[in-house]
Formats: sequence, C-alpha cells, structure tokens
Amino acid sequence: MLQEQALADAEAIDRRRAAGQDPGPLAGVPFAAKNLFDIAGITTVAGSKIHADRPAAARDATAVARLRAAGAILVGALNMDEYAYGFTTENTHYGATRNPHDLSRIAGGSSGGSAAAVAGGLVPLALGTDTNGSIRVPAALCGVFGLKPTFGRVSRAGVVPLAWSFDHVGPFARDVADLALAFDTIAGPDSTDPACATRAPVPCVPALARGVDGLRIALLGGHFARLATDDALAAARRAASALGVRREVTLPEAQRARAAAQVITACEAGAYHLERLRARAADFDPMTRDRLLAAALLPATAYVRAQRFRAWFRACVANVFAETDVLLAPTTPWTAPAIGAPWFTRIGDTEVPTRGHLGVFTQPLSFIGLPVISVPLSTAGSLPLGVQLIAAPFNEATLFRVAARLEAEGVVASRVVRAPTV
Amino acid sequence: MSQPPRTDEADVLRRAAEVGLIIDPAFVAAVAQHLTGLMAAVSVVDGFPLPESTEPAPSFEP
Repeated sequence: MLQEQALADAEAIDRRRAAGQDPGPLAGVPFAAKNLFDIAGITTVAGSKIHADRPAAARDATAVARLRAAGAILVGALNMDEYAYGFTTENTHYGATRNPHDLSRIAGGSSGGSAAAVAGGLVPLALGTDTNGSIRVPAALCGVFGLKPTFGRVSRAGVVPLAWSFDHVGPFARDVADLALAFDTIAGPDSTDPACATRAPVPCVPALARGVDGLRIALLGGHFARLATDDALAAARRAASALGVRREVTLPEAQRARAAAQVITACEAGAYHLERLRARAADFDPMTRDRLLAAALLPATAYVRAQRFRAWFRACVANVFAETDVLLAPTTPWTAPAIGAPWFTRIGDTEVPTRGHLGVFTQPLSFIGLPVISVPLSTAGSLPLGVQLIAAPFNEATLFRVAARLEAEGVVASRVVRAPTV
Repeated sequence: MSQPPRTDEADVLRRAAEVGLIIDPAFVAAVAQHLTGLMAAVSVVDGFPLPESTEPAPSFEP
C-alpha cells in the first residue's frame, strides 16, 4: 500500500484544479499495479523472495508513469504468481490471491491481484501483464474486463520480464469505457523499450460509439471448442449469437501453436533466471522453481524451431484476418478452480493439468501478439466466465467497438463484489 | 508423431551439468516430470513439416 504517496498525489491534483490547470483525464482515479511493475521508491518484488532483496526502483515503469501523468492515483502494488510464471496467483511466499466471488477459489494469474482488486471493488483500474494469458485468465475468472494489447503496443519498460517474445502490458477495468481510456493513456511509442512499436496508436475511446455495422465477425471452432466445460463453450456462443454471428472459422495448428508458446516461454524464462537458479534455487516458490529448472534444460534447437513455427503460424492467421475482422473464443476452459486444487483434472476422456490448462485458449493468440479483450459474460452462473474478442494486430479500436456493443446490450458486464454495508 | 521418451533423473542431472546447474536431489524428480512435459511440447512442434525457407519470427535490425 502506498498511502502517503497516494494522499500526496491527490493533494497535488487538488492544487492543480485550484490553480485552473488541467489535472488530466484520469484525475483522482485510484489504480494499482501488479508488483512486476517498477514503482519509484519501492522494491519490485515480482512475487518473489529473491527480488525482495533488491533496492527500491528509481523510477516508475512507463505504463505506471503514464497513468500517473494523466492524474490517476497509484495506491498499491498487487500480488502475482512468482515471476509471472503461473495462471493462478497461488504464491507460496505471499499467499494466494482469493477470488472475490468465492474466497475458496483462485483469482487466476499471473495478474491475479490486479483482477481481484478490480473485481473486489478496491480500485476501478489496475495494470497487469500477459505472456500466455496472465491478464485474460484472471479477468475471466474474476468477472472483469481485461485487455492484452497487440505485442509492442504498450511499453514494457520498467517491467520484470518473463518471456521477451510474449510479454505484454495491459489494463483491467470494470467497464469498456474505463478500459479504453486506460489503454489510450498507456499506449504509444517508448524509446526506452526496444520492443515497443513506433507507430502512433489509434485512440479507442472515440471508437466506442461506432457500433459494429460492417464488421466481419466469426466464432473460433476446432481447438477453441474442445476440452472445456459446456458453460465455457456456451459463453462464447452466447456472445456470438448476440452479435448475429453465423460463421465459424478454424485457426490451423492452434494446438501446435500452444505447444510452441510453451517451449519459447520456458526457454526464455529459464535463460533469464539461470543465474538465480544456479545461486538460489531453494529460494524460489516451489510452484515455479521446478518448472523453471526444467525450462533451463531445454535444447536450443527446440527454441529455434518453435520460433520458426511462430513465423509460419503468424502468416496463416493473417490470412484468416483477410476475411474476418473479429474472432470470438472462450477465455478459459472452466470457472475458477479451488485454491490448492488437484494437479490434474479430467475433462471428458482427457486428463489435463488443472493450472496449465487455464491457458489452452489464450496461448495460441498471445503466441503471435494479437490484441485480445476478455469480456465478462453477464449471464454466467455463480462464478464468472469470459469471452475473448480477437483482432488482427493494432486493431484494438475494432475490439472496443464490439465490446461496447456487447456491453450496451447487457451481454457482458463486470461483476464487482461490493463489501456488505453495516 | 511418437511421444518422446520420459526424461529420467539421470537425464536431468546430465543436462543440468551442461548448463552449470546443481539441482538439489530433493527437486530432481519433479524437474524430470516437468521436463518430460516440456519435451512433449517440443515433440509436438518438431512434428510439423516446416518449409525450409521459414525463418525464426524475431528479426534483427543492426
């Protein structure tokens, strides 16, 4: 918690207003950031014990700085899976982040604290990161909106990496308008991030009122219609039906894309943490340690082949977007599992890893840096479910048009848990 | 596409030595299990007949 700094920032906003100065489009809006982001004056622990020994960050991460420059008030840093290598935020060092809709269940991860903070009514905006689903999965499981932008659209400067090929920065919010405003605030070139796109961003707030006329929208089948509960698959069909979608398309080799994403993520994460694994393996979270040790042992040929396959897959999916503007798919295969759930889950005749399988629908998309909004279905049962809206690179504005339509028609809406009043 | 052989603990220790990692004996079995899973993913990617001309996705600009 950053109580003193937050109060000081709020007082500064008041002074600017009193002086007749523009305090910014997010003036006074509280927000929080996953503790993967540098925040000036505090240590970036990245969900770890090892990073907790480091000195405080000298400056804010770019995305944090841009929100603060717009007048938003940073109130705290949020829990996550250690080094972002997880889908559940079951953090052995700092405790599990609980789902506000059912405290016995996970919030998802690795940006679980960010999603839970918004879903729990603590803040209206939060920052997270997404490498294989770490914004989209917790957004879906907590019933809020989450945006994983196009790869390189939002600066990663000042963010501890997991996998350089796939790391994205993005916002969580309670509604589409807030999500769009947050994205417009943080998006754009940044010379301090070598992977940041130099092209100017397309503002998304003005796109919200444009409607969906003329958009070619399709439901993803194949890989995205298997190994999930009926409710999760029905969520995507419900959104498709509301948009009048009648067409289903298939992404070729999506399952293989997911495998390649796992290989690249593991190789890059294992390489990044190799020195720490050599020196302090016992200080890692057991939930990540053995996975990172294994990751560090993969052969280089595997990494190169996976990157070659990525080029092939990117070209194939570009052909799909020649005929389609927006694709729909479930975000997660099921609702939030229990904290401490068994390692494996049976779905139909197939046994899958309970935690890893949460990324079954997200990984093939972040593999090639496509922009995705996870929207929370308003008609889900007692536990939230999300739907992915997917576009070609740099078409976030198109996604926001669809999200705004779904929200206006009541098909999607955040489920924010309010504390009981006395 | 055949499944890759299960990675055993001896294999883990051999690979770890090659990258200068000393793995606590208490962790080796779990590492072997995770490496088996990762090698299965490697096998899935290997099973795709990529055109020889396909270059890796990231490109370097000097």
